[in-house]
Amino acid sequence: MSLVTDSPVHSSSSDDFAALLDAELEVGSSGSSPDEEDVEADGDNNNDNNDDDDDDDDDLDSQRNKRCKTEKLEDLEESQGSTSQGLIEDKIVIHAELSLKKDICTHPGSFGQMCILCGQRLDDESGVTFGYIHKGLRLGNDEIVRLRSTDMKNLLRHKKLYLVLDLDHTLLNSTQLMHLTPDEEYLKGQSDSLQDVSRGSLFMLDFMHMMTKLRPFVRTFLKEASEMFEMYIYTMGDRPYALEMAKLLDPRREYFSDRVISRDDGTQKHQKGLDVVLGQESAVVILDDTENAWMKHKDNLILMERYHYFASSCHQFGYKCKSLSQLKSDESEPDGALASVLKALRQIHHMFFDELDCNLASRDVRQVLKTVREEVLKGCKIVFSHVFPTNFPAESHPLWKMAEQLGATCSTETDLSVTHVVSTDAGTEKSRWAVKEKKFLVHPRWIEATNYLWQKQPEENFPVSQGKNQ
Amino acid sequence: MFFHIVLERNMQLHPRHFGRNLRENLVSKLMKDVEGTCSGRHGFVVAITGIENVGKGLIRDGTGFVTFPVKYQCVVFRPFKGEVLEAVVTMVNKMGFFAEAGPVQIFVSNHLIPDDMEFQSGDMPNYTTSDGSVKIQKDSEVRLKIIGTRVDATEIV
Repeated sequence: MSLVTDSPVHSSSSDDFAALLDAELEVGSSGSSPDEEDVEADGDNNNDNNDDDDDDDDDLDSQRNKRCKTEKLEDLEESQGSTSQGLIEDKIVIHAELSLKKDICTHPGSFGQMCILCGQRLDDESGVTFGYIHKGLRLGNDEIVRLRSTDMKNLLRHKKLYLVLDLDHTLLNSTQLMHLTPDEEYLKGQSDSLQDVSRGSLFMLDFMHMMTKLRPFVRTFLKEASEMFEMYIYTMGDRPYALEMAKLLDPRREYFSDRVISRDDGTQKHQKGLDVVLGQESAVVILDDTENAWMKHKDNLILMERYHYFASSCHQFGYKCKSLSQLKSDESEPDGALASVLKALRQIHHMFFDELDCNLASRDVRQVLKTVREEVLKGCKIVFSHVFPTNFPAESHPLWKMAEQLGATCSTETDLSVTHVVSTDAGTEKSRWAVKEKKFLVHPRWIEATNYLWQKQPEENFPVSQGKNQ
Repeated sequence: MFFHIVLERNMQLHPRHFGRNLRENLVSKLMKDVEGTCSGRHGFVVAITGIENVGKGLIRDGTGFVTFPVKYQCVVFRPFKGEVLEAVVTMVNKMGFFAEAGPVQIFVSNHLIPDDMEFQSGDMPNYTTSDGSVKIQKDSEVRLKIIGTRVDATEIV
């Protein structure tokens, strides 16, 4: 009878329907047929809850645990007593053994030096501290991996990736009050109220002796990005500074909540790392103005153009020009760095979720980043002139590498397929060749601007002047 | 949980407090010094309920300070492993949730949250049962069982 032979359960008694019924009834009469299902389920529960058993010490007042334990005992007796019960019995015995083996706690993490699972005092220092979430919290490496993958599934379901944002010169610019120049004093009168932060952009923080200016477009940026990304703040400032800035950028705690990482939380000095971020590296995009802070994660990084509002900021980086505050102007809101980066992020998000063919878990945002970048200067062939020092291996120059990352091909010799000549002096041989052959002659800043703005810039805006070195 | 016990402490008093109000000054100094502090053995001193006995004062050599041994009754709060108590949730995230029961900071890992409760992220992150009947979010009250405690001079965890 095909019905019986197909049944996965009864292998030995499958020939005789009567025997089959007997077997079933025997199982039913000993009262364990419904229990078998329960026990299998409870067996699974046991595996999960065994850690609870340990926690209770000898305290068995939890109803569920009691029931599990007594049923386990019953089944062990039954499996020894009964004869032809087939595979079910084996399964029960295996489950019981498995749950007995799991008496040892794996100590996934600690809170105040106590294991979060069994409460035992733990004095070892393995794993990573997550002080920014709550003081005293520390998670082991296995637990971090587990959390990352469950969170990943959750985020992918909501179609979100991770975005790590730097603060200084990326989203805002801060200065100490004592560093304000005389022509910036007018700002003190113009600062916005701290009571209703959501409208302002220039804030005076007397208690920290600081003044902060938010980058134009930042609020729209945060709002739109939060729909595509789960966002983190990661700054090289200390924790009180980081929390204050988070309050200014996110007064309702809807974008970052507790995800504010400061230099006190990093594991390495002067370096930022994704080890304190609870997200898979293949789904994290970083926005920062400093490349050197992310030595290990350069593939996830989108470099931002620095926002210099205050004079002290320009001074810090050695620029002799007047800052935006001194010129009484500001970055353009619709055309600025944040707006272009937002467009790029949208493209990356779209490509990750809608265009990649492989399954979600194996997609990598770093690949997408690379692909999107390579579209920008696709089809351009570039020759450099008077840009690299003599006897310098051209291929290792940052500008060469930047151009290649943007999808252009670079070469050291001119030929007819060249489209752009990048030069700092219009009088060199290659520059004159470019003008003669009607090729584009541009200043190296054209490549840098293209890199920051994720769009091929109009070549006319970057002319090269004659003569002296720039 | 809470205990009503008798503790003893040596209080030093500056001579300016001597006089008619000596005992009152002593008692107020005691309250200021002791209420709100935490010790490893007794836990968190919540309030002093009465003074049992103030011993004879001894003048310290070299200074004018006088030391009084004071026995006082007070209410202390000390959580124990295995104890069940109620707490208010302060923060919820994917690792579990943080709660407070008075001065005690508690962390409940998601390993120890019932399996049928799932973490929901969003504006108000919470843990909800599959049928939506029970929700653990910020400011909700929960009853939990302590699996481990650690007390140091400044806090109880």
